[in-house]
Amino acid sequence: MADPVTVTTSDSAAAAVAAGRRPLLRRPDKPVQLSVTTVLVLFVLFALPSLMNGYYTGYMTLAAIYSVVTLGLGLLVGRVGLYSLGQGAVVQIGAWTGARLLYGTAQPFPIVVIEAGLVTMLIGMAIGLPALRMRGLYLALITLMFAGAITVVLATVNFPNGGGGFTGYNGSAVHIPPIRRPSIAGTDPAYFRFAVVVAIIMFALVYAHLRLRPGRAWAAIRQSEPAALAAGINIWFYKLWAFALASFITGVAGAVLAAQEHYLYSINFTTQDSIILLAVVLMGGVYSLWGAVIAALLLELVPGWLQSLGLSYAWLTILFGVGVLQVITTAPAGIADQFPKDMKRLGRLLWRLARRPAAGAAGAAGAAGGETT
Amino acid sequence: MPPWSEFQQFIISGLALGGVYALSGVGLVVLYRATGVLYLAFGAVGAMGALLAWQVQQDGWPGWASWILCIVFGALVTLAYGVVFGPPLAGRDPLVRAVATLGLLLILVGAMDVIWTESGGAVRSISLPTDNGGFSLGNIQVTWTQVIALGLGVVLTVGTGAFLRYTKLGTAMRAMANDRVITATLGVPVRRVEAAAWFGCGVLAGLAGLLLADLVQLDATTLTFLVISSLAAALIGQLRSITVTFVAALVVGLVHDLLTPISALTNYRDMTPFVLAAIALLWVSRRRQVMTRSREEG
Repeated sequence: MADPVTVTTSDSAAAAVAAGRRPLLRRPDKPVQLSVTTVLVLFVLFALPSLMNGYYTGYMTLAAIYSVVTLGLGLLVGRVGLYSLGQGAVVQIGAWTGARLLYGTAQPFPIVVIEAGLVTMLIGMAIGLPALRMRGLYLALITLMFAGAITVVLATVNFPNGGGGFTGYNGSAVHIPPIRRPSIAGTDPAYFRFAVVVAIIMFALVYAHLRLRPGRAWAAIRQSEPAALAAGINIWFYKLWAFALASFITGVAGAVLAAQEHYLYSINFTTQDSIILLAVVLMGGVYSLWGAVIAALLLELVPGWLQSLGLSYAWLTILFGVGVLQVITTAPAGIADQFPKDMKRLGRLLWRLARRPAAGAAGAAGAAGGETT
Repeated sequence: MPPWSEFQQFIISGLALGGVYALSGVGLVVLYRATGVLYLAFGAVGAMGALLAWQVQQDGWPGWASWILCIVFGALVTLAYGVVFGPPLAGRDPLVRAVATLGLLLILVGAMDVIWTESGGAVRSISLPTDNGGFSLGNIQVTWTQVIALGLGVVLTVGTGAFLRYTKLGTAMRAMANDRVITATLGVPVRRVEAAAWFGCGVLAGLAGLLLADLVQLDATTLTFLVISSLAAALIGQLRSITVTFVAALVVGLVHDLLTPISALTNYRDMTPFVLAAIALLWVSRRRQVMTRSREEG
């Protein structure tokens, strides 16, 4: 994928070295962006749950959970250049571990979530260790193979349903207890808040990584591996770190997902999920954290909306396919990058129209041509 | 361990399955070598072709017309994709171009869902007339479809090898596999050669879809992701050697079917292509340095 910022090899190496020496956070955050984000987060946490009905609360909770998954995949694709076609399987591992621990132990919910993340991280690293010796296309394909294999295994082993043993599956269980939620977040709106808080913590974790040494190392690796190596960056180590971080947050999301769903069935997880995940992440935009939020809304909220209109999910699959082709051919930075640009262009257009109606009409025809998102 | 006699039937079915994987794998490798695109929508195109064939058979078309429709559909969709999206992405990383074909995959999967899955999940099947005839080999029944599947795999592998080696078009494809720009400079009509490769791959996709719909199951998702098995074979051949791809495809098909009677492993037999491909990939990359750009190695 063509990088939006193309820096020559020597520049990026020099920048990476220089960035390593300077103190952190040289540039203060943009105040407008910061305050908009804060207001948005407060709105989602305190006002939104009472505005939504039960139908949309469920979909928004899923969107909050999956925003962490898309964040992890966006991190791999956009920041390190590792295309993973197996993130759906990573979610399954997290959900399985979370469900098993929630059934089998009485540990507090947040502890279980972190444990599920850690277990997923270890499995992700065990796969990443050998896989990282491969480059681009081969790595993507081996993750696809991995996703296929995990789906086969879980179809046989099944998700835990309160049974005993290692798998925690009891095929003849009549009464299956639901996967428990934290005591403070038993109801759906409360669990939505819980999922949003988890998502915020995960976004903060990733944001911190991007601002610190790993983020700079990943940026250098994405620009050019030889230059990054010349700059003294341990490529293998930082790639593995990215893999581990993405697996961790995806595992956390999986555990939160398990309690949201109450019951898990392997039939609900398919290899296709992993492909759709990559599709929405590319559409949302991999170079921005907002892209992950947009991708999650595309993935989880739009289907709910379509269903209320009586349209099926299949239409959305077609739309995702078109979106992938469109993003790859014309807009590599996705909606997160394209939307503000288009809005700005639209604003300018409206401004011109308002001021000079006659001249503006001519300009409108010209600008509208380039305005396809 | 079940007795040997239980395995015998699965040798034949495994070889037949391997034959179809081989022809798909060879199609994928040739297209990848000629155009640099790993065509991940191969299975989806075949699946939709097979479902179309089923549909027109319901409408009273004769069998042969529906099979031709399936193959023509595969060829046309693939050719159209190659002509529209090939040139604008020609200079991009192979990874990005492979991901773009996932877009086509999603469009086809969505379309199949809209047209067929939601209008009642009826059990569909395609049966070729060659299912009925056959002969027995010792005490194993062999159908002509199985013979055709394995035979096509062999013929296409040998034929493609000869085509690449001895014809002008084949030589042009091999030249493009080495360097597209230099080939163009030498006066080879690059786009036309690429279109030919896309068309050929599309014909194979339709053919594979039809045979797999008969041998395995006529189901959109199953057929779409069966491409992963051929992909595994192509990967074992390092997306380069059609001979290795052929052998690997037969091994994948054989191992998959031979695991069926073993009760401890039968549920895991679908993992065969993944496990074999993962082992092969790791073996190949065991000494490779990390420091290379994500570009296909010439």
